Amino acid sequence: MLEIKCPYCGNRSQNEFAYGGDATVKRPELNSMISDQEWDEFVYYRKNPRGNHLELWHHVSGCRQWFKVFRNTATHEIIQTMEMKENP
Amino acid sequence: MNKISPLANTHKIGLYGNYEAKLETDLLSIREISNIKIFQLFKYKMSNMDLSNLFLEGHKFPTKGGSSSGNNSLRIQWQAPNIWIIISENKNISHEIEKKCPGSDFAITDLSHSRAIIEVKGNDALNVIKKGSPLNVNNFVKNNCANSVYHGITISLDMINDDPITLNIMASRSFAGSFYHAITDASLEFGFKTI
Repeated sequence: MLEIKCPYCGNRSQNEFAYGGDATVKRPELNSMISDQEWDEFVYYRKNPRGNHLELWHHVSGCRQWFKVFRNTATHEIIQTMEMKENP
Repeated sequence: MNKISPLANTHKIGLYGNYEAKLETDLLSIREISNIKIFQLFKYKMSNMDLSNLFLEGHKFPTKGGSSSGNNSLRIQWQAPNIWIIISENKNISHEIEKKCPGSDFAITDLSHSRAIIEVKGNDALNVIKKGSPLNVNNFVKNNCANSVYHGITISLDMINDDPITLNIMASRSFAGSFYHAITDASLEFGFKTI
């Protein structure tokens, strides 16, 4: 069980949170021509690294805010949590 | 028209659990808080209103995460950045809120009939929380509040007093029955009276 520091509420148990996916994925620019390959990469393909990873989490049973978690997927160490506008 | 509180058919007055050979003052006391007004207040992102001058019935809006303000008849709970829950016994509190919080800066939602609130009072009140919630309440003090889960039910917890420990626990009305049974089952080992 992880203890995650919500940027708004402080340290809370993992079962108050929901994982929201890879935070590094960027949606292709609107109104621009993009290839099927680019769209596939946005929708389906993920790097799934072993090591440091930037993730989205939702404090669904707390303040209901989305935020970013920078953590190590091998050791489960949470290096940093931050608001959506911030970066590690 | 009759108003039916969320726990009207569940909450029965009496003594329960491990209450024998104990003073009544040592027992937990559990009651439903009903017939009150509950409002959610959301401050718009574009609003420039200064919250340091905003008071409701003399109580300041808490801006620090996990804090609440008020007294026994009015509670203002911080829920999230720019979101508060106001719980009041004053039936006309909505006029007061509308006066202080204009529609150009705030969205106000009446939740009065969509929540169930249980008050748990007594020295073991925090132990009842520990038995069903992952929230660390060891450092919980008066005027602290938090959202968490209790046996899978999303709750809002507010400590309105610390001597004796008095907690208001709020859940969605649709979960009221399960929520009440989860709280009372956890209270059996301490002994409790329902009032």
